[in-house]
Amino acid sequence: MSPPPPANFEALADQSRTLLSVFIAGGHEAVSPPIIQPAGVFLDVLGEALRGRTYVFSDLDGEELCLRPDLTVPTCRLYLERHPQADRPAHYCYNGPAFRYQPAGADASHPREFRQAGIEAFGATDREDADARTLTLVLLALQQSGLRSSKLRIGDLGLFAALLEGTEMPERWRRRLRHQFWRPDAFRAELRRLTTNPARLSASLPRALIEALNLDDPAQAESLVAAELDKGSIEVFGVRSVTEITEGMLAIAADARAKPLQQSAAALIEDYLEVKAYADQAPARLRALIEKPQGRFAAAIDAFERRSALLNESGVKLSEVPFSGEFGRNVAYYSGFVFEVLALSLGAASPVAGGGRYDGLLRAVGAPRDVPAVGGAIHTERLLAVVGGKA
Amino acid sequence: MSALVFAVPSKGRLMEQTAEFLARSGLKLRKTGHDRGYRGAIEDVAGVEVAFVSASEIVAELNRGHAHLGVTGEDLVRENIANAADRVTFLKPLGFGRADVVVAVPKCWIDVSEVADIAAAAMAFRREHGRPFRVATKYVNITRRFFSSRGFADYRIVESLGATEGTPAAGTADIIVDITTTGATLAANGLKILEDGVILKSEANLVASKTAAWPEETKKTCERLLARLGISAATA
Repeated sequence: MSPPPPANFEALADQSRTLLSVFIAGGHEAVSPPIIQPAGVFLDVLGEALRGRTYVFSDLDGEELCLRPDLTVPTCRLYLERHPQADRPAHYCYNGPAFRYQPAGADASHPREFRQAGIEAFGATDREDADARTLTLVLLALQQSGLRSSKLRIGDLGLFAALLEGTEMPERWRRRLRHQFWRPDAFRAELRRLTTNPARLSASLPRALIEALNLDDPAQAESLVAAELDKGSIEVFGVRSVTEITEGMLAIAADARAKPLQQSAAALIEDYLEVKAYADQAPARLRALIEKPQGRFAAAIDAFERRSALLNESGVKLSEVPFSGEFGRNVAYYSGFVFEVLALSLGAASPVAGGGRYDGLLRAVGAPRDVPAVGGAIHTERLLAVVGGKA
Repeated sequence: MSALVFAVPSKGRLMEQTAEFLARSGLKLRKTGHDRGYRGAIEDVAGVEVAFVSASEIVAELNRGHAHLGVTGEDLVRENIANAADRVTFLKPLGFGRADVVVAVPKCWIDVSEVADIAAAAMAFRREHGRPFRVATKYVNITRRFFSSRGFADYRIVESLGATEGTPAAGTADIIVDITTTGATLAANGLKILEDGVILKSEANLVASKTAAWPEETKKTCERLLARLGISAATA
C-alpha cells in the first residue's frame, strides 16, 4: 500500500482557522468530539456495510471501537451527552480528522485520513430556514477560503417521502420501498414485484396456514401460528416472539391476497426519481407530475419553494443549480434537503463539500424522539488542493 | 536454489486427506528433521519444500507469497483474501473437506424462508426492539458480501469463533452464518437453512499464489509436481 501524500499542514491549519471563524461568526459553537468512537453506534445506524470502509478494532477489554469515519454522528453523540432529552436547539461547528478505508487504494482525493470542517444545527423547528442558513454558511466559508468557481447540486428526500405517502398502497409496502430507497437496484426490483406479483411464493412457506389467517383478527392469527408451531414440535426461542412471527405471517397473507400496485403509481414514483431540472424550474416540474398535487406532496413542494426563496435572498442563483429527484440517495440517514458542492477541477467523485437534513439520526443515536437536524461538511484537503495550496 | 514452497495442513483430517490425495498419485509426504518439526519434502519430486501449517495460516502464506502452493478450504480463501482472484489461483478442488457456508435462522421463524424475508422481518424487528438483527459468524467478509449482493443491509455482525449455532438460543444473536456438512448440528439447535441461504459450497482446494516469486526453476518444479498429480500446469 502506498503511503498517503504528505499534507501541507501549515496551509491546512491556516485554512481551518478561516473556516472555523466563519462558522463561529455564524453562531456555531466550536466542539471537538472524540476521534475514537464506539463502533456499535455507527454499525447500528449506518449498517454493516460501514465495516467495509471504516477502521474498526477491538481494544484490550474487547470493546469494539472505530476511528470516526465522519464527524456528524460523533457531534450528535456530543449533543446528546450535553442534552440527553434533546430538548433545546444547539449549533455546533468542528474541524478535525476523520478516517476511511479506501478499498481502491488511497490517493490525494481519497485519503484514508482527512480533515473535515463542518457545522450541525440541532432542534431548529423552522426547517427551511435552517436548511438555507446551513447551505449559505457553508458556501460563505468556501468563498472566504478562496474558492472561486464551483458547482452546487441539490435534492430533497422529503419530496420522495411525501410522494410515497400520497400514493395509494398498503403502509407495509411504503415501508419496504422507503427501506430499499438507498439501494436503487433492490428498489426497482421491489417496485416491479409489487406491480406484477406481490405475493411471496417461496416453497417452504406454510400455504394452508397463510390461507387460514384472518387479516382483521390478530388474536386468531396468533393462535393459528402457535398451533402450527406446536403441530411441528417447533420450539420457540430467541428474541422474536410468536406475536412478531404472526405479524410477519399476516404481512405474507396480506401480500398473497393483495391486488398488485397500480402501474400508474409505480410510473409516478419512477417519473419522480427521474426529474432533473434547475432548482427554479423544479417546483413546476414536480407539480406537473400529478394532476392535482395535494396533502403532504403539495406541502413538500411548497417547502421546497420557500427554502429556494430564502436561498435566493442569500444570493444563491437557483437558475444555475441542478435539482435531481434521485440526488441524495447514497447516504441512508438523510431525510430532507441535500446538497453537494463540486469544484470543477476535481470532478463529481470528489465533492469539496456536502450535507443535508437528517431528522431521524439523533433518535437512532439515542434521543427520545426525532429531532430536526441539518448540517454540512467541507473536505478540507480537497478544498486546499483546489484553491492552490497544493495539499 | 529456489525451492517450491508447498503449504500443507499440519494436523487433523485435512492433513490425512491431503496425504491420501498425494498418495493416489504415488507421492509420499516425508517430514525432514525431527518428527515434530514443521518442514518436509515429497519423495520423488526434488525441489519441493513442504511446510506444515494450520489451514487458515496457509491462506495467509499464499496471500503474502510465502508459499507457492497450498491445500486449504475455499471458504478460508474467500473470507481472508478480499480480492482473491488477483492474489491466488484455484488449481483443483480436491473432493474432501467439504462444507457449505449457510445462512440459518430459528425454525420457529415460519415467516422467513428466503433472504428477502429476513429483510422484511428486520424492518419490523427494528421497530419493535430498536436494533438490527445480530448475525453471529466467523465469516465476517463472506457474510457482508453476500447480504450486500442481496440488498440486505440492516443487520449487525457479532463475531463468533465457536459454537456459533448455539448463539440464537443463548440470545446473543438472531441469525447465524456458519459452515455445515450435513445440517444435523443446525437442526439439533432448532435452526433451518434458508432456501437461498447456501452462500458457498466449499471444499479443500489446491491453490497457487500469484504474489509469490516464480523464478524459472520454481515454475519447472511446480510443473513437474502438477504433472505427477495429473493437473494441467497452464493455470499456475
